[in-house]
Amino acid sequence: MGRNELLFLLQGLKWTIILSVVAFAGGTVSGLAVALTRTSEWPWLQRVTAGYIAVFQGTPLLMQLFVVYYALALAGFNLEAWQAVAIGFTLHASAFLGEIWRGSIEAVPRGQVEAAKALNLDYVSRMKDVILPQAIRISLPATIGFLVQLIKGTSLASIVGFTELARAGGIISNQTFKPLLVYAVVGVMYFAICWPLSLCGMQLERRFAVSA
Amino acid sequence: MNYQFDFSPVIAGMPELLRGCLGTLGLAAAGMVLAIIIGIGGVVVRESKVKLLRWLVISFVELIRNTPFLVQIYFIFFALPLAGVRLSPTPTAVIALGVNGGAYAIEIIRGGVQSVNKGQVEAGLALGLRRLQVFRLIVLKPALRAIYPSLASQFILLTLTTSIASAVAAYELTSVAKLIENESFRSFEVYFTVTVLYLIMSWLMMKFLALVGWRYLTYPVK
Amino acid sequence: MKRTSRPSRRSLLTGGVALIAAPMILGRSALAITTDEVKKRGKIIVGIQGDNPPWGFVNSTGVQEGFDADVAALYAKELSVRPEFVPLEVANRIPALTAGRVDCLFATMAMFPDRAKAVQFSKPYVANIIVLIAPKATEIKTNADMGKLKAIAVPRASAQDTQVTRNAPPGTNILRLDGDAVAIQAMLSGQVDAVGGNMFYKDRLNEAKPGTFEDKLEFQRIYNGVCTRLHEKEINASINAFIDKIKANGELAKIHEKWMKLPLPTSFPDSIEGVPFVAS
Repeated sequence: MGRNELLFLLQGLKWTIILSVVAFAGGTVSGLAVALTRTSEWPWLQRVTAGYIAVFQGTPLLMQLFVVYYALALAGFNLEAWQAVAIGFTLHASAFLGEIWRGSIEAVPRGQVEAAKALNLDYVSRMKDVILPQAIRISLPATIGFLVQLIKGTSLASIVGFTELARAGGIISNQTFKPLLVYAVVGVMYFAICWPLSLCGMQLERRFAVSA
Repeated sequence: MNYQFDFSPVIAGMPELLRGCLGTLGLAAAGMVLAIIIGIGGVVVRESKVKLLRWLVISFVELIRNTPFLVQIYFIFFALPLAGVRLSPTPTAVIALGVNGGAYAIEIIRGGVQSVNKGQVEAGLALGLRRLQVFRLIVLKPALRAIYPSLASQFILLTLTTSIASAVAAYELTSVAKLIENESFRSFEVYFTVTVLYLIMSWLMMKFLALVGWRYLTYPVK
Repeated sequence: MKRTSRPSRRSLLTGGVALIAAPMILGRSALAITTDEVKKRGKIIVGIQGDNPPWGFVNSTGVQEGFDADVAALYAKELSVRPEFVPLEVANRIPALTAGRVDCLFATMAMFPDRAKAVQFSKPYVANIIVLIAPKATEIKTNADMGKLKAIAVPRASAQDTQVTRNAPPGTNILRLDGDAVAIQAMLSGQVDAVGGNMFYKDRLNEAKPGTFEDKLEFQRIYNGVCTRLHEKEINASINAFIDKIKANGELAKIHEKWMKLPLPTSFPDSIEGVPFVAS
């Protein structure tokens, strides 16, 4: 496998990273909204959000991608493949991150909420200055863990034909006829991005466990 | 909109889709059994005095957890014949699912075993029980109680992961869905319906596993 | 803080209904395309195959190449726009067109009646042969011999898929894999005993293992057409006129020689049963 082939794989890696970053960024913003509605005071809103989360957690990512990919086109949005897929990943991320952050918001000690209310802080200020900073700190290991899952999940974009790292591997293994070598290299590339993040998450988890 | 929704091919294909659901559940169950075997084996090896063996297990776990399942299953699909093993896609998928689930199972089971109070183990040994008896009588049930929720979640996750096995044409729901899509060209209708089927399956599994946990693993309250 | 409730059946039902309703509510899509719109846009979005040389493939520098790419580029020049290629998996070609993701398909689309119910074909512009390929040592002389094989790989939803499914005895183990690349890999790695392919598979396979493979069964000589959506008369007429033009002035023959290393078929059928060339 020569330089050209390696470069093609690296191009696939580039798209994997772009897809992951876009999905994580989008998922963070919408995930926050999901978490806030899930912990809001209105039961109806809570239940709808819970349903939304349940759908994404109870179905395969591949199916979510297919449905979003085709639904967007039918609804008239003429998007490029990677944009449609990115939206699919963003929705997926929003549900999972929303659930993780819901858990961490609820894990913030009750006393903090009561103290904030006693100080007459309104909802926005309470969230922004007291609860969310603590909740996000608590959620870091799980959030990083999900980011790793998301990066691995981008490999499924290959099945809708988008050329990210996994599909680039398929194409190159067909040109070089060395599937084991190529998929091993592809695996190493995924490992190279995911493992440092996993280590980071494990370290944070250990640090929080000690300080708790 | 110019697109006319047409669910009739999906409805006509429902018997085949339901059979695909059974395929999915079968794959997941077989994969989970293999995963637990690998999990227990991995935990035992990880406690070994030999540094190389410990390191092998740790590397295996980290490798599997930080690479995508799609890449793992393609690798196994193309590697097995070179090792002289010709398996059809469904057993190949079971192996891939077992290996993938096994890596996570090792961590879950390890956590459960470690959660049992060391004092209990020491007390057992002091009473003259051998290590194996200590494990079976003192550690096992509390450890199982501790890890059951995580293992149950892992099982449901594994069931959802089976859809990726369609990439090597293993027999499960997504493969059946792709077949119906081929014949009818009704992509959205097919995948939407299949998504609902997965949702029902995972919900039923969740209820069933919760029931089992409640029946066998809750602390007896006298 | 109040204990947040678990997802109830009702909320799941609401979610499901909303999901179904959304596409219908979200708007009227402009799926129908005309050449004027394409010209205004400045580009034509062409669905093509990403890893099926020499028809359509993405080379190792990431550029789309192949017979279909050259013909599509010529059509784009005809409209004075640039071509934008969207490499598609075999099974994704028709869905991508009907969902509006691409304007047309120059994607090795074999002209079959059941496909003609979903998309509009143009006049045929190139021929292909669907064959079964296997190692020379494997004995396959008749269709019935396929039933003796442990497994046959085909790219899902391809012409080979249709042909092998139709001609193999019932109970034959057919692996429908996601794409030409995976099917070829399955043959090379020994996962299957034979693979359904087009007339170029043999060369690709023999590139990896020289002298090993040969065509065993020939299923059908088929023709490929350009696909557009049903009832889009204008673009269909434009493409048919273009195909007539490049057949007449020798451009098509030149492209064919370049990629297929064979002369263009001297004649194409005027009609194919079940497959209309003109939109209605």
